[in-house]
Amino acid sequence: MKKWLMHDSWRHIIAIAVCLFSLFPLYLVVISSFNSSGSLQLTSFIPREISFKNYQLLFNNPAIPYLSWVKNSLVIAGAVAVLSVMIGSASAFAFSRLKFKGRKAGIQLLLLVQMFPAILAISAVYVIMERVYTFAPSIGLGTRAGLLLVYLGGAMGVNIWLLKGFVDSIPAELDEAAKIDGASEVQTFWLIFVPLASPVLAVVSLLSFIGTFNEFILARLFLVDMENRTVAVGLQQFIGGQYSQNWGPFAAGSILASIPIVIIFLSLQKYIVSGLTAGSVKG
Amino acid sequence: MTYLIRGKIALLLKVVVVSLISAVLLMLTQSAFAQHEYVISAFLALTVLALALTYLTKISIPLKFFIPGILLLIAFVIGPILYTVTMSGFNYKTGNIISKEEAIVQIKARGIEADPAGTSFDIKLGTLSGQEAILVSDIANLSYFISTAEKRTPVAAKDVALNEYGVAISAPNFTILSEAQMAGADKTYSKIHFLYEGEYFIALEGFDAGIVSRQVLEYVSASDEFKNVVDGSIYRDNGRGNYSLPDDKAAILEPGWRAPIWFENYTKILTDPRVREPLVRVFIWTVAFALLTVLTTFALGLLLALALNKPIHGRRIYRSILVLPYAMPSVMSILIWGGMFNTEFGAINTLLGTHIAWFSDPNFARVAVILVNLWLGFPYFYLISSGSLQAIPSELLEAAAIDGANPRQIFRKITLPLLLQILSPLLIASFAFNFNNFNLIYLLTGGGPRNELDGQIAGATDILISYTYKIAFGTGTQDLGLASAISLIIFVLVASISLYGLRKSKVLETFA
Repeated sequence: MKKWLMHDSWRHIIAIAVCLFSLFPLYLVVISSFNSSGSLQLTSFIPREISFKNYQLLFNNPAIPYLSWVKNSLVIAGAVAVLSVMIGSASAFAFSRLKFKGRKAGIQLLLLVQMFPAILAISAVYVIMERVYTFAPSIGLGTRAGLLLVYLGGAMGVNIWLLKGFVDSIPAELDEAAKIDGASEVQTFWLIFVPLASPVLAVVSLLSFIGTFNEFILARLFLVDMENRTVAVGLQQFIGGQYSQNWGPFAAGSILASIPIVIIFLSLQKYIVSGLTAGSVKG
Repeated sequence: MTYLIRGKIALLLKVVVVSLISAVLLMLTQSAFAQHEYVISAFLALTVLALALTYLTKISIPLKFFIPGILLLIAFVIGPILYTVTMSGFNYKTGNIISKEEAIVQIKARGIEADPAGTSFDIKLGTLSGQEAILVSDIANLSYFISTAEKRTPVAAKDVALNEYGVAISAPNFTILSEAQMAGADKTYSKIHFLYEGEYFIALEGFDAGIVSRQVLEYVSASDEFKNVVDGSIYRDNGRGNYSLPDDKAAILEPGWRAPIWFENYTKILTDPRVREPLVRVFIWTVAFALLTVLTTFALGLLLALALNKPIHGRRIYRSILVLPYAMPSVMSILIWGGMFNTEFGAINTLLGTHIAWFSDPNFARVAVILVNLWLGFPYFYLISSGSLQAIPSELLEAAAIDGANPRQIFRKITLPLLLQILSPLLIASFAFNFNNFNLIYLLTGGGPRNELDGQIAGATDILISYTYKIAFGTGTQDLGLASAISLIIFVLVASISLYGLRKSKVLETFA
């Protein structure tokens, strides 16, 4: 046996053991998705059959509007990602760079607000949106637009706080130079700050995207109609029933919905880790 | 690009966008006002004002940057927080959901009784000189009359036209409702008391029948009480959102309304054993769960980071596989684990060769929750631990090695203390996050197992937030007031933990 393998064997043993632990559930979903029996049983480690029945079911069964679910998730998460970073970065810029009365108090309030777990106010949000529905049925409870607004508001605290941290780290000399050259605050923001921060803005918006895509409980409370659901809520319905657990299509649907998220995550790993150490925890 | 920021086009664009948004918000303001949602309406009006002032005048430049963010924050975070505070001071639960005005209307509507003989008539809905009226057919006596809320007009049998069942369908001056009108008529007609005899009136039972009834509960607005006209008993506002008999507080009229009870929801948490005892149990498990999660995920993450802290063969492949649990959307992973723990078909029992009912036994369910959270959480600590290991100056380790310390001593005396110092804010943040890890509990065990026969809401794996959710949105009594009070207590706890963590990280920053 080679010397390196001997010397580092404990490292390999630990790594391989934990890799198996990581992969086991994922492998199980993959083989279940190709299994036509619709269960999540472990009959053998090597799949006996490869059937695309579950995948076909997702796209051909009118009772399962999988494509609308995916579309809803993508549209809502995409809109939250773009809008929350646009609005959040402007606020963060103001808090970090501009001088105004009450700035310090505002930052302290923001610090406190961003600590408030959105889920604690869920009953209040529910009651408020129920009331909004009585006069504006298109943005109240049960609508995707309403859910989008709630997400956007809920993401604001953390996003402004995170982005403020990034703006603080950009050297102030840059915008002071712009100021001397006669640029207004708005010009400094668009022509100096946004181009400089664009990689960071992209990462924060992708994190928002993943977070929103993963959100379950508000979506569950808000979206009642089958067509309006997000992927997470829709797929949960397959296996939520006590006696009619339908793992085949669930497995297939989860895999298809997860692939883009996993790819985004792996390609951004480096940035996400540095973002994480800045104090955010992925949900 | 500059022309978009400065100049006439920019100005025009700005005015158009601001006007459009303001127009939509103004429309909403008006319809909110029409629905008596005055607080929401006032907020919307202030929003329009703030937007117009900020973007159409030169009042303040910083405002231009943060007004959209702040308005969203107020509407969907600060507003709901304040509303939670308000709700926590109210008796706001199933049976006490509506406002007092609505409750009075409903008590009145429910407080009628049919006459002793149970008389009912066939009727037709229509109008009499523009007023809502019914054409009543007393088929047994072959007598007919038209009744409105104010008067009753007898109609001679020769003046009416009958259908095949002997029900009058037309009479002089009476205009019967068309099919189309009937669809919308239900709401208005069902509320009207059509005149009959003495205290009795005719109340609608569907579209074709009327029942002779009388009002038993009468509202006396001067003294704000309900009077039972039959037995003379008086129901008074008991100050807690119900009308009740003065000497029998349990005899209340349904429905009640949401009434301020100030700190009662909070005192209930401390004094009522039915609320306090499950809450204490849930709290202990919440802390244990969050602590165990942080410990296990950190330990496994650190072990991996140490194992892979050397450029060994296949390190990149290991790394990609190890972050997969973290990259997967967690909702899906949790549901998959839920299936794997199934007693009959689950992969875990198959693999272990056991037949454990994981989610029916409190201790097995707790083990399952911790194990799944370990799977979900260890990659995070692996990633940040390996980052932090790189940050430890190698001189320190080399110096220790030269002084004759063995690897274990170096780890225990140097690496671990330094790592803990670097990572303590993140460990605290992870604790705070798991303290409220609703998705995991809700999707994996639903908080169970619980003793449903005892009528308990809290299950063995319920954490504070999932328990609160059950109180607010559960299948039994939904108590939004109590749920809000508990939510605010959780917030105070989590905020103190987070502030403590923040202070730690601030201390570190000043050293770095």
